[in-house]
Amino acid sequence: MFSVLICDDSLVARKQVAKCLPQDWEVAIHFAKHGGEAIEALKAGKGQVLLLDLNMPEMDGYQTLEAIGQLGLKTSVIVVSGDVQPEAHERVKKLGALEFIRKPVNAEELLAVLSKHGLIDGPEEAPETEFSPLDPDIRDCYQEITNIAMGRAGDHLARTLNVFVHLPIPNVNLIEVSELHMLLSDIDNHERVSAVCQGFVGPGVQGEALCILSDSSLEDVAKILNITGEVDDQKQLELLMDAASILIGTCLSGIAEQLDISFAQGQPVVLGQHRNITEIIATNKLKWKRTLAIEISYGLEGYQTVCELLLLFTESSMETLNYKLAHLLEDF
Amino acid sequence: MSNDALDDMLEFHWIIDMLQTVDVGIVVLDREFKIKMWNGFMESHSGKLPSEVRDQSLFSLFPDINRDWFAQKAKPVFELKTRAFMLWEQRPYLFKFSNYRPITSSEQFMYQNIILAPLVSATGKVDNISMMIYDMTDIASGKKQLEALQVTQSEAQERGSRGS
Repeated sequence: MFSVLICDDSLVARKQVAKCLPQDWEVAIHFAKHGGEAIEALKAGKGQVLLLDLNMPEMDGYQTLEAIGQLGLKTSVIVVSGDVQPEAHERVKKLGALEFIRKPVNAEELLAVLSKHGLIDGPEEAPETEFSPLDPDIRDCYQEITNIAMGRAGDHLARTLNVFVHLPIPNVNLIEVSELHMLLSDIDNHERVSAVCQGFVGPGVQGEALCILSDSSLEDVAKILNITGEVDDQKQLELLMDAASILIGTCLSGIAEQLDISFAQGQPVVLGQHRNITEIIATNKLKWKRTLAIEISYGLEGYQTVCELLLLFTESSMETLNYKLAHLLEDF
Repeated sequence: MSNDALDDMLEFHWIIDMLQTVDVGIVVLDREFKIKMWNGFMESHSGKLPSEVRDQSLFSLFPDINRDWFAQKAKPVFELKTRAFMLWEQRPYLFKFSNYRPITSSEQFMYQNIILAPLVSATGKVDNISMMIYDMTDIASGKKQLEALQVTQSEAQERGSRGS
């Protein structure tokens, strides 16, 4: 079977790209979190087409393209990136990429590119999923305040927990309800990950923070938080809550401080523990269409633990947020 | 300033801070239902700043609240120093706030339990009352689910007994 490899460090972005592949295209879809994994997969013959992000930890898109060239791996590369600088465009083409698609991908554009390069037979009618993308200036601004907030959060964590925190570049995206549902059902299917969500609300701004941790990392978390003794199921949940509160709390207060607002936080809830996730999805289907998602993956030096933090802001919050950001921009 | 007075002031400061950040809505109203205090919970959920609402009438800020009904509720609190209650089962909310978890929760708005309590002044009279607003959304949505389940179950039972 024809195979497609999607390489992106963001879980949401991987899902989003996968969703945009033509519906009736019979392909095996594989995923990679960074260039290294992509190269391994390509060597194993998983990826006649590679959809590649540029900004990734460990091995970024440019390095991956170089490695593909050096190793002489046979694959058609389409770069999918939020980096819209013309220079990036030029560089990836020189390195052997066929095409450059801007994030967020839409199905129509992807189909056009795939058929242009003969990777799929003739164009079929494309679904209309287009919506206005996020203004790049505003996106940069969100990214920047998250960066600053994370820098502070990282500093606090490093001081109190004695660990070095790797701070990645946050991903800022507008995501549609269906994409989040996919992400949530994925958590549901994977018994080995748990998610804690916590609502927050400030004047005119409302959202939820979602902290996703793999169960295997709970041992590391116990070590970091200095928990001794046996960690049973009850204790595990408590640990998960503690870790999530620390991450969510530090990041949110950093953002709130910069926007000069304060957030009230609700009680954290372990997703899917009391209620089936598919049921949650079914009942709130019509409530909202899309949300602003800021995605951060934390890594800790010396530990395998990776933790995903998703800050979701409702669409109605964006007016206030953009207004606050415009103020920040004026100050510079 | 003496040390005692300073301690008192510091204590006052953190008590105010606690009232400000507690995850319960706190509003103080006078006899004319003008707002005297509006804590952080109310500010965050309503989007109205304390400076905007101070000394404003509750009814002019929230025209959906029926004045006669509310005054009737509050009367014994002022006159008899008793407490008055509003429960989500009878009245889902007084202030239309959106749900705390807009993304993953199935409810549209915040279900509220509200308690009105007298604040007795130094003269022994009740000049102000406090209103505490509790978020009952999780309990409400749990109960609604349970009831929905019971209905489907009894319907299934009925179908079963009719079939036999």
